[in-house]
Amino acid sequence: MTGPEVTVGSEVAPLERTIELRDMVAYAGATWDWHRMHYDFEYLQKRGLPAPVVDGQVFGALLAEQLQDWLGPRAVVRRLHFRFKNLVFAGETVRCTGRVIAVEGDTLRVEQRIVIIDGDEPERVAVEPAGAEIVLRAEEAP
Amino acid sequence: MTEEIRALVGREVSYTAPEELGRAAIRYFARAVGDDNPLYTDDAYAREHGYDGVIAPPTLICETNQYADLRPDADGYAGHDWHIDIPGSRKVRGGNTYTFHEPVRPDDVITATWRLDGVTERRNSAGQEMLVVSSVATYTNQHGRLLVTNEETIIFVALKEER
Repeated sequence: MTGPEVTVGSEVAPLERTIELRDMVAYAGATWDWHRMHYDFEYLQKRGLPAPVVDGQVFGALLAEQLQDWLGPRAVVRRLHFRFKNLVFAGETVRCTGRVIAVEGDTLRVEQRIVIIDGDEPERVAVEPAGAEIVLRAEEAP
Repeated sequence: MTEEIRALVGREVSYTAPEELGRAAIRYFARAVGDDNPLYTDDAYAREHGYDGVIAPPTLICETNQYADLRPDADGYAGHDWHIDIPGSRKVRGGNTYTFHEPVRPDDVITATWRLDGVTERRNSAGQEMLVVSSVATYTNQHGRLLVTNEETIIFVALKEER
């Protein structure tokens, strides 16, 4: 099995996801986080928020998934960091992008970011800076 | 106000989950995120790739409140919180840095230990005053293995004063 080309400058295969209210309810359940920000319209209206707010931590999961999907099961994410720039609301589509910035032996470093894409509207940044350190294990070794 | 909060630096609180993480919790999280990686659901596949069976998606234990076993507060939140309340400010997430030491398995009973690491005052680019609260959580299992470290910043941004 051959993996993707991994050299400095290689693009990490992008991951795109539309996050519907249904997905947010599932995520709230799966993480034991029932904060009203994520589903309660009356609560949101009182605070001047236009729609349910996507739990920021889901973006950590997406950044990790983007790397695992790209590199396959021999990739082990060792470190992952991310900073939030703008809120993401129910129904919006996000795109995770990234590129390799360093390769040292079996370890690579990537930088990533997440933008909100909404048709013809200008992109808004959801997460930046972000990035990870990944170890690529030999295929057969545990 | 800030002095009171500064006095909290060094505070530590620990939670131990009432049960094992569980395979269903792992599958539910992967499903909710939309991640169909078989490492999280297929034991045979996970073994082929050097694990002892299915593992949890790496960020799961940093995101779940399962271990805390707390009643939800007025906002519905049921996770760890320092209960810092700063009138006239808005609380927002800054960011996280996760370090994954070992894969998390369904039979792990998680203990999460949160430490309030630091409080710093800053101004953002718009000139608003901010208070940045940094915490570190370490997640261990019942065998005392360090699984993950989570450095987190929460920011309290002063609301604009009306004139």
